[in-house]
Amino acid sequence: MKKKEQRLTSEQVGSIVKMLGLTTDREFNCAECLQHVSEFAECQLANKPVGEVIVSVEQHLALCPECREEYEALMKILKSE
Amino acid sequence: MSQNEINWPAALRATDSGEQAAAVHALREQLQSGLRIALNGRSDVSEAHLEDFAQESLVRVLDRLDQFQGRSKFTTWAQAIALNVAFTELRRKRWQDVSLDELMAEGERLAGPAMMADDVLGADEERTRLVAALRNAIEKELTPKQRAAILGELRELPFDQIVALLGTSRSAGYKLLHDARRALKRRLHEAGITAADIQNAFD
Repeated sequence: MKKKEQRLTSEQVGSIVKMLGLTTDREFNCAECLQHVSEFAECQLANKPVGEVIVSVEQHLALCPECREEYEALMKILKSE
Repeated sequence: MSQNEINWPAALRATDSGEQAAAVHALREQLQSGLRIALNGRSDVSEAHLEDFAQESLVRVLDRLDQFQGRSKFTTWAQAIALNVAFTELRRKRWQDVSLDELMAEGERLAGPAMMADDVLGADEERTRLVAALRNAIEKELTPKQRAAILGELRELPFDQIVALLGTSRSAGYKLLHDARRALKRRLHEAGITAADIQNAFD
């Protein structure tokens, strides 16, 4: 990390706010998201309604950029099949 | 038989060593093919990397076979694991030079006035008030490790890298961050400020 990057930008303050807005008492962690993301991806691809469990996947993907990156890569593979 | 029709868990557990070896080979090929599509165009990924990722992913999938619940296609489930393996390694390489001291020092500054760039506040009094409340909550509610972890997330450090730097486990690191977010939300709520108030001020 370089010194000149040490101040927060509007976008980063916005990220904190977004994180707080999405925070709930019970959330999936990354391992739980990984366990269910394949089901979520297939539902999204088929435009099928998502159940209660995979709503938690959607919430985690909104909060976690790493899991979102992996989900988007998974969708890229599924769409190529 | 097409690959979609294979009963993968059964084939991978087959007692017939020939059948099992064929399934292992086919799955490794499929994972590598998927990774090639997903990582296409990245300058930091070679064919040798794809082979390594596919092999490591295969081991991980075989270790977790009992966790497959059949709620998606087996190959989709396995591919999600392979992507996790590959991206985790790529992120680790990208951020391996960040030190704990650096992260902790920056985390401490998160509560300080110098941390917010001028363009965050501008001349807007409402923005200034809300950011002051947010900064106060960060200072009063969070531990140094929680500040460092949030800072790490804002800097887009991989979560694995953050927990490694903090010397904690993934689950403990996740709880650390979750508790931090809940504490900030509660503190702002007590001050009569909702996340929507701040969001609106910065839209």
